[in-house]
Amino acid sequence: MAKLATIEDLANLQGSLAAERERDGTTVIVCGGPGCHASGCCAVADALREQLHKEGLTETVRVRVTGCHGFCEQGPIILIEPGSIFYCHVEPADVAEIVSSTICGGELVERLLYMEPASGSRVRTESEVPFYRLQDRTLLALHPKIDSSSITDYIAVGGYSTLAKVLRDCSPEEVIREIAGSGLRGRGGGGFPTGRKWASCRAAPGDEKYVICNADEGDPGAYMDRSLLEGNPHLVVEGMLIGAWAIGAEQGYIYVRNEYPLAVEHARTAVEQARELGLLGENILGSDLCFDVEVARGGGAFVCGESTALMASLEGKVGEPRPKDVHTVEEGLWNKPSTLNNVETWANVPLIMQHGAAWFSQRGTKGSKGTKIFALTGRIKNTGLVEVEMGTTLRTIIHDIGGGGRDGATIKAVQTGGPSGGCLPAGKFDLPVDFDTLAQAGSMVGSGGMVVMDESTCMVDVARYFLKFLQDESCGKCVPCRIGIDRMLEIVTDITEGRGRPEQLDLLQELGETMRETSLCALGKTAANPVLSTLHYFREEYEAHIAGGRCPAGVCRALIEYVIDEEKCTGCGACARACPWDAIEGEEKKTHAINAEACRRCGICAAECAFNALLVR
Amino acid sequence: MLQYVTLSIDGAQVKAVKGSSVLDVAVEYGICIPHLCHFPSLSDFGACRLCIVELVRNGRAKVTTSCTLLVQDDMVVRTNTEKIRKLRRNIAELLVAQAPNSRAIQDIAVRCGVREVRYPFRNENCVLCGRCVRLCTEMWSARAIGFVGRGKARHVDFPFGVRPDFCKRCQACVQHCPMTITPCDGPMERGEERLCGKCESQLQVTEKIPDACVLCDLGQGFNCARHG
Repeated sequence: MAKLATIEDLANLQGSLAAERERDGTTVIVCGGPGCHASGCCAVADALREQLHKEGLTETVRVRVTGCHGFCEQGPIILIEPGSIFYCHVEPADVAEIVSSTICGGELVERLLYMEPASGSRVRTESEVPFYRLQDRTLLALHPKIDSSSITDYIAVGGYSTLAKVLRDCSPEEVIREIAGSGLRGRGGGGFPTGRKWASCRAAPGDEKYVICNADEGDPGAYMDRSLLEGNPHLVVEGMLIGAWAIGAEQGYIYVRNEYPLAVEHARTAVEQARELGLLGENILGSDLCFDVEVARGGGAFVCGESTALMASLEGKVGEPRPKDVHTVEEGLWNKPSTLNNVETWANVPLIMQHGAAWFSQRGTKGSKGTKIFALTGRIKNTGLVEVEMGTTLRTIIHDIGGGGRDGATIKAVQTGGPSGGCLPAGKFDLPVDFDTLAQAGSMVGSGGMVVMDESTCMVDVARYFLKFLQDESCGKCVPCRIGIDRMLEIVTDITEGRGRPEQLDLLQELGETMRETSLCALGKTAANPVLSTLHYFREEYEAHIAGGRCPAGVCRALIEYVIDEEKCTGCGACARACPWDAIEGEEKKTHAINAEACRRCGICAAECAFNALLVR
Repeated sequence: MLQYVTLSIDGAQVKAVKGSSVLDVAVEYGICIPHLCHFPSLSDFGACRLCIVELVRNGRAKVTTSCTLLVQDDMVVRTNTEKIRKLRRNIAELLVAQAPNSRAIQDIAVRCGVREVRYPFRNENCVLCGRCVRLCTEMWSARAIGFVGRGKARHVDFPFGVRPDFCKRCQACVQHCPMTITPCDGPMERGEERLCGKCESQLQVTEKIPDACVLCDLGQGFNCARHG
């Protein structure tokens, strides 16, 4: 394709692409998000192409592999347009039937339709599925429309036209005013007002400035940024272009972690395609804007998601945070003014500029506007990505959209915001999810990870897990973070292993507050949150470990004991065969017994038993 | 020409050269801010967090390290509030529990008011203050040693663990290491570690003006900026 020299060129190209798209007949949309990838969407897409080829339908039916649709639990997911027919749990073996019945015959394959768990009835389209119906999908709604590695798809649905509009109609100041007016706050965790950040960066002295996209997402159980960058990389690039225009930057970086190979690939492809069309480079669309983007890969350090550490890493130095007495908008990358925003923040920018600040700010709460994507994981029925209006209650997200606990279990708590966030108990589920409310409750929105926990989760063990994660991921530069996390882990491990003392709870509290106040960067400042929040809301669990010497959830091995229920045991011997420690004895067809001394409490027997005869005490 | 700014440290209006750090200015004016990783003429990187102060801005106090905080006109800094003393004490407690076999660390613990150590003692040789690394890099431009590893595994080492030719064996790293002087009663064996606390008598003078530097001997163990 020829370079687009002017705004008219872009409009013409878009017109012809959109017209071409209208002529498209049937389109089979295969979700290619991280969840569906794991459940085998590639094989489905290949089988589909093969089948269409076999039946000579390649000309009339298009297969589009797109970004994440969100309902990862039901993957692989396919959508058939027109008609928005929603099929879930599709396997390569189902493909022949889909092609013959649905695509050629116009009939539904009943068993692949989503079954509503409450009524047991099958629903036909995506919008009828409660998981989707209750969401407010703005960013994610674009995914099914776009082949994630195709710039033509993006342009056909109106991509880059917002950039053209901005370059034609808005001065940088107007862009900043619009972004500030929309109330957009940073989606990476801090929640800093984006407009204010941009304004200070624009005002900072210096003619060389940078914009950076932070795609170093590393929270356990979070993959919002990953799916955005994989699914719609051009939206992020367009956001960065608008940001560069507003701030006055000529160079941008996408810092994406190397463990996201597809995100790296798609970001690189997007940048190359944009360069080929002249949407990156000199005098973009005939305007004064000169801007280029480089994709930099992160080497797997969690701390490099911290802004100053990320910039050090980009400079080729060790990824360690530095004191932020001078902000990065004044002295950031190579000591030049730099604006760093999260993937989701950048992705929101084109939408705000397209629809206006008022459109964006009509949704959300007083202090938090717009929609936010959350990654719903853990012991919940519908795992996946959900996008809801800011201020939606936790209950709506977890019970209505998420479908409640897996296997009917009672949900006990939710961990929001990853290792920097906290655990909120079920009693707080009526809280609206926005930056300020969650922070007040001792947690945070963070980047948007939500790990749901039920009665089988020990909160002390959860705190220990996050401390272990942070101990590995702290850069180790400053004392409160390095030694503080280490000591906290030591104490919490003592508690989970039955050596805890009552006075250690106050020590944990005091140490946590010291870390929060004195650590160098946000990683250390928030590292104590998992401990402090569980200590606040689940103190009785800590006390049960210390005073009672028992783990209420039956998780901490040193404090539990496995016993065989004599009534349920049939003497099948499955447990005894599975036990690696030979701790289970018993004659065939007679009740077995566990030798408590030899038992290592690994729980393998409980997993093997078909009669639920192994109890945790 | 030198430019001056006026700021308030613990209520005193002080005049300071623009570009200097709050820690340097405070020490110059006889205000004691305990510090460990700070070393005169080396860059400050805010690792030990002992020199924390409260920076009051728009009526809100923010805790930050004074070694990395540059003086500004009309800045209001408080170095010795109840909160800061408590935080400093907790950090010093972490340090002394980590490395009790250093006079410098024991001195700091005394100066910061540590009376008991609530963590099991460890007997480590290094608290990663990074003086050696910065000396080698900044003063001798040798870069023979650096930080290796992350988190708990972070330590100071030669590149790839082998002494390179460009290490001139000048021993500057050893001379300026705060860990080389053992406590006054000699080194503590494993299992015998304790809080020394003998020098507490030196501090009686300071109770009336807790933030004043009394030219105590405590700083000698780690080259307190006042002695430098």
